[in-house]
This record gives sequence, structure tokens and C-alpha cells, in this order.
Amino acid sequence: MNQHERRWPATVVSLAVVAVIWEIVGRLELIGSGAFPPLAHIATQLWHDRGDYPRHTLGTVEAASLGFLIGNTVAIMLALAFSRWPPLERVLRGVGLTLFSVPFIALVPVLLIAFSTNTARIVLAALAVYFPTMVSTLVGLRQVDQRLVDVVTVSGGGELAVLRLIRLRACLPALFAGLRIAAPAAMLGAMLAEFGGGFRWGLGSYLLGSLGQANPARIWGIGLVATAVAAFGYAVFALIGSRVAGATSSVTTATAGPEALEGDGREPLWAKAGFSLASAAVVLGVWAFGLRLLGISPIVAKTPLAVVKYLTTGPGAATARHELLSALGQTLPLMFLGLACGLAAAFVLALVLSLRPAVGHAFLPFALVSQTMPLPALTPLLVLVFGRGVLAIVMVTISVTFFPAFVTIAQGLAQAPRGPSDLVQAYGGNSVGVLRFVGLPNAIPHLLTATRLAAPRALLGVMIAEFLATGTGIGNLINQARGLLDYGMIWAVAAAAVIVALTLTQLVGAIEHRVWRRFAS
Amino acid sequence: MEVPETARPTDGSQDHGDADSAAVVRVSEVSRTFALKGGTVPALDAVSLEAPVGSFLALIGPSGCGKSTLLRLLGGLDQPDSGSLSVAGATPDELRRAGRLGVAFQDPALLPWRNVRKNIALPLQVLKRPADPARIDHLIDLVGLRGFEDAVPSQLSGGMRQRVSIARALVTEPEILLLDEPFGALDEILRRQLNLELQRIWLEQRPTTVLVTHAIDEAVFLADRIVVMSARPGRVVEIVDVPFERPRRPEVMKTPEFHALADRLSDLLFGQGAG
Repeated sequence: MNQHERRWPATVVSLAVVAVIWEIVGRLELIGSGAFPPLAHIATQLWHDRGDYPRHTLGTVEAASLGFLIGNTVAIMLALAFSRWPPLERVLRGVGLTLFSVPFIALVPVLLIAFSTNTARIVLAALAVYFPTMVSTLVGLRQVDQRLVDVVTVSGGGELAVLRLIRLRACLPALFAGLRIAAPAAMLGAMLAEFGGGFRWGLGSYLLGSLGQANPARIWGIGLVATAVAAFGYAVFALIGSRVAGATSSVTTATAGPEALEGDGREPLWAKAGFSLASAAVVLGVWAFGLRLLGISPIVAKTPLAVVKYLTTGPGAATARHELLSALGQTLPLMFLGLACGLAAAFVLALVLSLRPAVGHAFLPFALVSQTMPLPALTPLLVLVFGRGVLAIVMVTISVTFFPAFVTIAQGLAQAPRGPSDLVQAYGGNSVGVLRFVGLPNAIPHLLTATRLAAPRALLGVMIAEFLATGTGIGNLINQARGLLDYGMIWAVAAAAVIVALTLTQLVGAIEHRVWRRFAS
Repeated sequence: MEVPETARPTDGSQDHGDADSAAVVRVSEVSRTFALKGGTVPALDAVSLEAPVGSFLALIGPSGCGKSTLLRLLGGLDQPDSGSLSVAGATPDELRRAGRLGVAFQDPALLPWRNVRKNIALPLQVLKRPADPARIDHLIDLVGLRGFEDAVPSQLSGGMRQRVSIARALVTEPEILLLDEPFGALDEILRRQLNLELQRIWLEQRPTTVLVTHAIDEAVFLADRIVVMSARPGRVVEIVDVPFERPRRPEVMKTPEFHALADRLSDLLFGQGAG
């Protein structure tokens, strides 16, 4: 309680300072010549548009809520099933990883082909919430104190009694941590679907419609409203979560580390390979047979095999290949550049703040806003400020990777034990010494975790910026293909984006796994 | 590390050798090996011991001697690679399922979201037995927690949490009480105090008790019979009977007999390390 109270002044002061700077910058048109309107203009515009907001907001919120409900129900049920039958999780892991790493904008055209417009919006919101909730719940269900399990077992209980009396209750803080992230994710999914077009009411379509109107204040207004809605969802679940966590945080020692999800540490290589193959087969199977089940024409819905044919033996395969590869050649360097800059900035800032925690409190509100601001709302704003060029793409990528990475690294550092730092200081080391011997080595595994989490976001950021602003790369290619009814290309780009993101997260994940293992022992 | 021939655990159990197998705790030729990265670790190697039902047995030994492993085997939390365990003719698994076991660990392992009363009632809930409020009140009195019935673990001190876990271990009126260093994390003063209370509770209910400890004085003060174990692999070095009358008062710890026994045990424990 006390800590919260002491945090407030720094937060309020920093908010006020930013508001004042914003107003000055806006009035003097210091950035992007009018792209950065003063707060007063944004407020006036909001008031002027007050008639439009309720319907647009409701459209998005309704779909996002439905998707949130459906996606989370499925996620929680599956997490329960996975905790009961671990091999099931291994087989379905590919689906989860695909959903985690797929740039959702690549799914928009695909979903709009498969479903009616509103259903597509709900489905995308549901897909966006599935992974965070499923992983958090599963970790929560698995990460219980083994001693509690032993007590129930010795008292004559079986797995069901352990589930009923311990796991279900113990997983609640983790579940709410997942729901907290899932709420803004549902907004992101719904708004991205609206970018696909065909929606009368929705904040995403409102935003898309306002892009060409040379009215930056309106775009900022929509962005802020979308952020407020997402932040509200975040806050509700954060609040419930902190209540629940207060009553749950064990007085006994925690047991499981980041390995809690693995459970496959010592199995033979053939078993690992078998599970990987099975899980890849499930992804391809869902793709191929899911479309059949939905009864979509094979002309529109391309199976994996059809996509391969499209790019290899089909008519115009050479052209299609060339287009895809040159678009990837535009997208990927920018993704890596933005990712590297965002991570480097986050790493340095988190390290510095670990030595000066007070500065961190002033920083907190902006970290929260950026965590909850839907990417579709952020991108147009950055395009406004930085123009329709490469700079905008890089800035979008930096901003989507910087904050999650910063939060991951900073939290990791905050959890580091005090002992080693005290030791360095006891031998006369100053804060630089602490940083060198303790802070830096501690931060490296967290940097890798942050990289794995940020990489798919980086690709999504680049693609959204390409789609909305620059007209380059695969973000543009998939949009263009929709206009040309080039269904093969839509599926090819979506598949390529998934493969890029999946490869990247798996690569980083493998390195991360090794480093964590070394640090854990 | 070698175990002297004379220290084989046969003489100790001779006094009760005629006991009917229905009335003893029997561990015969139990071995348990754990697979670790890059090899195996034998935790228990052909361990045998016996104790009459209703007695208080202490297992002492250096860390890694497998005393906790033996306790987990007795609790049905783990299975031996070979050999067998039984209490009054029933296997640990049968005892466990029938709700005849009680357990307390070094870590109190309380459910953080439950108050004292509900934590104590947990085993009854697992066994789907009705929780008799009077019985739970009695246990709360027994462990000296009157007035803290509605407190949650985070509001209790370490010693109080440990008392809750003892009360929880007793709530099903278990025939066998398994205690794995229940006072190991507490300070010396508190540990002595709780040792006295444990004896009082034990005298009142008389469950067959197996206490794992690394404290020699605790073992001598509480147990009827002490099993001394050696490490890597875990073996029984000697079984020592404790002759003191019950109830034992703290003053017994100052007697020459007590010190003689404690010295003998510490020779058994530390002598092996030197050899």
C-alpha cells in the first residue's frame, strides 16, 4: 500500500510534464508540421465527433468481447486438458506457436475469405487472445508447490483432488495475468479485422476512413479512445488479478522456473523430433481440412499443397516467386533493424533504471499505455508524425518492440536476488561494479526472452506500417493480392509471414532455453 | 564411508523380533535409485528396519542418506525399485487411500488462500469426510492456536504455520504420522518448545510416528527408537533404542544418560565420515 502511495507523485508529475510538453510541441508544430496536434485540439475534435464514437466503439467492443469470451473459454479448457494429458499439449504446440507468431494482419484476408465480415472480426479477436491465456493458465496449473500436492496425495487424494483443491485455485493469478494481456489483444484482433474493410461500425474502420482526411486530431482521438478501451480491459483484470494474487502468493518457497512449460527436458531426441513432426502435421492438417470443413471453395481457400504449387509449378509461378521474394527483401531488413534498435534501447534503459528505480516509477504510465495501445491505433499516429517512408516503418517496429522488451527485462532484473549486489558492494564495488558483475549477466537471459516475445510483434508492426502507409513489402503485397483476387498470393504471403515469425521465435527460443538452463543451475 | 560389520541393523530389532507382522512398521530390503543428468544416484540401498505400531521412530543421518526418500516411500509418494514396506500389514498406497496417514514437512505447505481452520480441514475434504467443527477446535487448542482460527498463513509466524501443519497432519486421526524435519527451519528455542508439544500430542493420540531429523537431541528426546543412516548410498548403520520414561521433561536433556546417548549417536554419525 505504502509503496503505491509513494509511487503516485512521480507518476502524476511525469504525466503533467508530458502533457505540457505535448501541448507546447503541438502549438509550435515542432514535429511533422501539424501531425502532432496539441491536446486541446484533440479534445475539441473528440467533442465534435462525439456522435460517431458510441457506435464505432460499440462495434469493436462487441466483437472484441465475444472473441475474448470464445478465445478464452477455448484457451482455459485446452490448458486444463494439457495439464491433464501433457502429450496433447506437445502435439498441439505447433498450433499455439503459430497463433503466437503469426502476424495477424496476414490472417485478415484469409479470415475474410472464410467467414462473414463480423464473424471474421470475432474470430480474429478470439485467435489473438488464445495464446496468452492458454500459456498463462497452463503455467499456473503446473507451477504449484509440490509440497501442497504431496499433502493432498498422502491424505489419500488423486490427480482430481489435486486439481480441485489446489491447481484450480493456485492458477488464478496466472490466469488473470493472461486475461490482462488478452483484453488489449482482443481489441487488436477486432481492429485489425476492420482494416480488412467492409465494416460500417468499428474503431478500426473509423480510423481507416479518417486516414485520408488530413485531420490529425481525429486520428489521435480515435487512437486515444481505442487505447482507453483496451486499457480499461487491462485494468479490470489487473485489479482482480492483484486481489487474487494477494491471497495466493505463497508464504512458502516458489518452485518452478521458466522451465515450467517444458516438461520435455530429458527425453530422447527421437521423441522430441516425433512430437515436432506431429505438431507440424497438426498445423498443416488444421489448415488443409479446416477449410474443407468450413465448406469454402478451393479456388478461394488454398491448401498447403496448392500454395506450394502456386509458387513452383503453377502458371506464373516464377513471377509470383519473384514478387514474394522481393517483398520479403523489403520487409525483413526493416524488421531486423527495428527489432535490434527497440531491444537495444529497452536493454540499456532497463539496466539504467535497475540502478535508479525512482525514474522507473515516472516511466510506468507510459509503459502501461504502450502495452495496451492497440497496434492498429498506434501505427497511423506514427505515420502521421514520421511520414510515409522507411522511417515510419522503423519507428513502428521500435515502438512495438521497445516496451514489451523493456517490461520483460526490467521485471526480470527486479526479481534478481539482492545477495550478489550486496556482495559486490561489500567489497567496495560501486553501482557500475554492480552493473558489470550482477546486472549485466542477469539481464542477458531476460533480453533473450524479450527478443523471442518481441520478434513476432516486430514483423506485425512492419506489415501494418507497410499496409497502411508505405505500400512496400509483404504488408502491401497481401493487400494488393486481395484487390487483384490473387488468392494464391494471399495464402502464400500469409504462410511466408508465419514461417518467418515461427523460425525466428524458435531460433531465439532455442538459444534462450540453453542460456536459461545454464543460469538456472 | 564403509559400514562396519558390527553395525548391521539386526541387533536393534531383536527386542521386538517376535512382534506379529500385523503390528509392526516393516521396511525390508528397500532400494531406490534416482536417475540424474549423467548417471544414477542410489538413495537407498537394501534398507531394512522394524518398529512396533504405536511407537515413535526417528531417522537421523547426514544429508543425502535417503531419510526423506524413505519417508516418501512410507507415505506412498514414491515407489521402491525393490523391497517392500508395510505398516500393520498394509502397503503405503493402501494406507494412503484409506486416509490412515498424516504428514508434515519442513515447509508447512499450507494453502495460502485458506485460513487456519480450513487448512486443517483439507485432508478431510480430500477424503470426502465431514469436518467436525468440535474436532478442529480441539486440534487448534492442542497446537495452541486458539484465537487464530480465521488467520491466513501470511498473517502467521513461521512457528504458528508449522503448528497448523501439525494439526492438519492429525485431523484425520491417522494411525501413522510422517514428519519430515517439521521443525528444521525454526530457531532453536521454538524447536524445543514444539518438540515438547509434539510429545504431548503424541502421548494423547499415540499414532505410529516416523520423524526425519538431522538434530540428534531432537531424536533422543522424542523417539523410542533411532535409526542412524549413512549417505551415498543410503544405508542403515545402526538402530538404537531410547530407554527414557514418558512423558519426558526438558530436564532429561541435562542428564548424563541423555548426553551419553547423544554422544554415541554423534560418534555413529561422524565416525563414518572419518573412516
